Amino acid sequence: MANSEYFDVSVFFILFRETLEASIIISVLLAFLAQGIGNADGDLAVYRKLVRQVWFGSLLGFSICLVVGGICIDAWYRFGKDVWSASEDIWEGVFCIIAGLIISYMGLAMLRLNKMKGKWRQKIANALAETDGRTTISSFSSKYAMAILPFVTVLRESVEAIVFIGGVTLSASPKAVPLSALAGILCGSAVGYSIYQGGNHMRIQIFLIISTCFLYLVAAGLMSRAVWYFENYNWSQLVGGDVAEVGSGPGSYDIRKSVWHVNCCNPLFDGGWMIFNALFGWQNSGTYGSVLMYNLYWVAVIIAVCLMLYKEKHGHFCVFNKYKTVAADEIDMTLPRSVAGARASEGPEAGAIGPSSSRYNDPNPYGLGSSSSHLLSDVEDNEVGPSSAATSLDVDRESLRSSTDAADDCDPLGISSGTVLSAN
Amino acid sequence: MRAFSLLAALAVSATASLAATVQYDFSVEWVQANPDGAYDRSFIGVNGAWPPPPIECNIHDRVIINVTNNLGNEPTAIHFHGLFMNGTNSMDGPVWVTQCPVPSGSNIIYNFTVDQPGTYWYHSHFSGQYPDGFRAPFIVYDRDEPFADAYDVDTYLTVSDYYHNSIPWLSANKFLILTNPTGAEPIPDAGLFNDSQNIKFKVEPNKTYKIRIINMGALVSQYVWFEDHDFQIVEVDGIYVEPAEASMIYITVAQRYTILLTTKNSTDKNYPMVTSFDTDMMDTLPDDLVWNVTGWLTYDENGEFPEPALIDEYDFYDDFNLVPYEKEEPYEPDYSITVDVSMQNLGDGVNYAFFNDLTYVAPNVPTLYTVMSSGNDSTDATVYGSNTHTYVLGYQEVVEIVLNNFDPGKHPFHLHGHVFQVVERSDASPDDETFLTYNPDEPGTINEYPMRRDTVYVRPNGYFVLRFLSNNPGVWFFHCHIEWHLQQGLALTLVEAPAEIQAQQVIPDDHYAACKAGGYAYEGNAAGNTVNLFDLTGEKLQPKPLPAGFTARGIVALVFSCISAFVGMGFITWYGLSDLKTTEREVAAIVGEPLDDSDESK
Repeated sequence: MANSEYFDVSVFFILFRETLEASIIISVLLAFLAQGIGNADGDLAVYRKLVRQVWFGSLLGFSICLVVGGICIDAWYRFGKDVWSASEDIWEGVFCIIAGLIISYMGLAMLRLNKMKGKWRQKIANALAETDGRTTISSFSSKYAMAILPFVTVLRESVEAIVFIGGVTLSASPKAVPLSALAGILCGSAVGYSIYQGGNHMRIQIFLIISTCFLYLVAAGLMSRAVWYFENYNWSQLVGGDVAEVGSGPGSYDIRKSVWHVNCCNPLFDGGWMIFNALFGWQNSGTYGSVLMYNLYWVAVIIAVCLMLYKEKHGHFCVFNKYKTVAADEIDMTLPRSVAGARASEGPEAGAIGPSSSRYNDPNPYGLGSSSSHLLSDVEDNEVGPSSAATSLDVDRESLRSSTDAADDCDPLGISSGTVLSAN
Repeated sequence: MRAFSLLAALAVSATASLAATVQYDFSVEWVQANPDGAYDRSFIGVNGAWPPPPIECNIHDRVIINVTNNLGNEPTAIHFHGLFMNGTNSMDGPVWVTQCPVPSGSNIIYNFTVDQPGTYWYHSHFSGQYPDGFRAPFIVYDRDEPFADAYDVDTYLTVSDYYHNSIPWLSANKFLILTNPTGAEPIPDAGLFNDSQNIKFKVEPNKTYKIRIINMGALVSQYVWFEDHDFQIVEVDGIYVEPAEASMIYITVAQRYTILLTTKNSTDKNYPMVTSFDTDMMDTLPDDLVWNVTGWLTYDENGEFPEPALIDEYDFYDDFNLVPYEKEEPYEPDYSITVDVSMQNLGDGVNYAFFNDLTYVAPNVPTLYTVMSSGNDSTDATVYGSNTHTYVLGYQEVVEIVLNNFDPGKHPFHLHGHVFQVVERSDASPDDETFLTYNPDEPGTINEYPMRRDTVYVRPNGYFVLRFLSNNPGVWFFHCHIEWHLQQGLALTLVEAPAEIQAQQVIPDDHYAACKAGGYAYEGNAAGNTVNLFDLTGEKLQPKPLPAGFTARGIVALVFSCISAFVGMGFITWYGLSDLKTTEREVAAIVGEPLDDSDESK
């Protein structure tokens, strides 16, 4: 987990997170295919074809992203770095903040694996439902729906990863990108695969918790380092360029702001210090500003966690709305179903549905089954028998309607879906 | 040794009857001047003029200088650089070593006999005053010099670096401050030849000139050469040497070289003479700095004054190889002092210079006055304070100073009251990471008759070994003559034969009067304590060292950071586990629906 010349924790986690997301959709798709037609006799050829479509779409998206990402990162290091070098400390600080915020944004959402999965199911359902509606317009998109969806998803996640990496790796060595990226992709795929396999949910969750803790350690270090960089910039302005000359020895830091300072060559700290520094992202020179930032960051994380738990419990942030973190927004996307259900249930017309169980009371909360039936009925035109889907899946058109309508209306709070539900 | 004593005795008897008294009255004042034509500034001048007048006398003369401080805003004093002051230690002049600062409006008389021939200089030894102008040559003529018949004209040439801002201002705002952690010395603004530039040094053809070259600068050594004119070095720092052929000299601040230069036969051409900064000694080279100063050996005032030719390398004479005219074999040391030079930052963030782990901090009482008021305790270095870095030397012993330079800069070290044999001087170390240190078991090059002088430089990360005979009772300062480094504390004090000082020397009343006028202590130990000489309460000390690693403050900060990190991770874990609980709770409400999604729709 240590940052070194060849490994960067931030890059690893970004790739891990994005791969996880991409692999979740692939696994959801594959699981759906397996359930939908994989176990139906005689449809094996169709099933394989569709599975191939999924993999083809994913790999195509991934390849394109590799090319684009490679070009971007290469261009970045070739041309970008020079621009910053003039006032490097400022930029390092800014990029540390960017990286810290990105990680903070992604981190907590990762712990809502179920919601993440839900979100993707929702998206898949929507996409398929859309396909259904446009059968006449584009037979291509319906024919290759199973390829287009993972393709678009993988591409989107990859581009996101590239953008994030671009932000994060400004403070890291370019040599660190390949290894950490590879490790992140492998770990993300592994977790995605175990989700697909339906492995021990508990173990996955604990793994996610541990990795999220590390992620936030890294983010705290980055935020603290950002302050440190700003202070260092200020100091080098005062000193006039001599800071580089003195290395990490006396004079490399402002004694007035120093909480502690350990020279690099101090044998007392050398071995242990390296790990400490890498894990916590701290400098050998602790300043009041950076220490404060580190602690305040954790306070902010704690507040954010409390607020989000509060919101999950009560459905809103109360008066603390303005303090909600970006990560909470992420959850907003996944919540509407239950929230909508809860809201709807609170409404006068829908007293029958309990607030906490609305999502799960619905045997097919994301409308996956029904959307698949749509897909399959589309596919039917493309030589897939209609009976297979109907027999193997519980079809709940109302549930489908509720979810697809909600998504179609682009109503994140799910008001309209609530309306639909209550209309039922 | 015997030969030397005999010669000296002869010289004394031969010239005693000729000895005269030379008297100067100096009113020290601020004077406006503009030596480089670029900047008008205040200098410390004498009698309304700047530069101050050279002091000239014959050997064995008595010199009396009556100094009145009319600066109005700061004290002053004069040190006579290179003069032994044998028997008159109080006339040496370094403030806080042999006297108090002379406050404005006060008066002090320097009264001594000069028994050394050659080229010296005088300068304020207080608060960076000499680079602010208070310095000038001090020349002692000697009819009996070994090369008395070898020249036609006796003259001098001073070289110097020069700052537009005053030294105290630079110290307070640019140098001895937190934001100059590397101790980068302020860069001079210009160089000077005879306190001017573009000088026309008039010469006649086919004559030999004895030119006494003095570097009166604050920081940089200078390369000095005369185009197309080789010369002979015949004296360094008041010591006659066997004539040495040279085409260029390397002269550090405070050093003197006397050369014999024979002019050409024709007057067709004027020849540039150049003094060029040793730019290695400067932290940066500003674009607008002109570090060469040119003058001309002027054969024909109406002729052309050509630009100096570019040179490929500085091919200067290595002074280590000079052979004194009066030959002495290397002394065998009775007492050895080893000091390591380094530059380090102390707790106030300022960069200081160290001999071993001490940076010089001046005492409250001039060390000589402590000698005079400490009776039998004067042989105990403790009474001179913790930060004056004092060594007490016996009488008539050979003292050795081994100096290992753990700094990648060149440093010209000067010892008051003596010339020393430069027994060994190493090369610079090959790189910044290695240090050459003196090992008596593996001596380097030792010349048969080591060069003697009073100011010698040590090379980057190298060392030198100096030896001298403690035959001059007094308190003598040993320090780097770079003014900035002296301000950083690169100095130590030698109290030589304190019992003999007490027995043989008297401090004149007007010297004590300067202390009284300025409100300075002049009795007791370094702290000014006259009752218990070993009680140093109130002495001035160097700042505390930088906090080493983790102090209490650092540990507290670290512990708090760890706590908040763990608490924060605890909250994250809580949040993460609540996903499970929420799921489980919600799933529990669903009949026949297992936890995992993959199972969910099976």
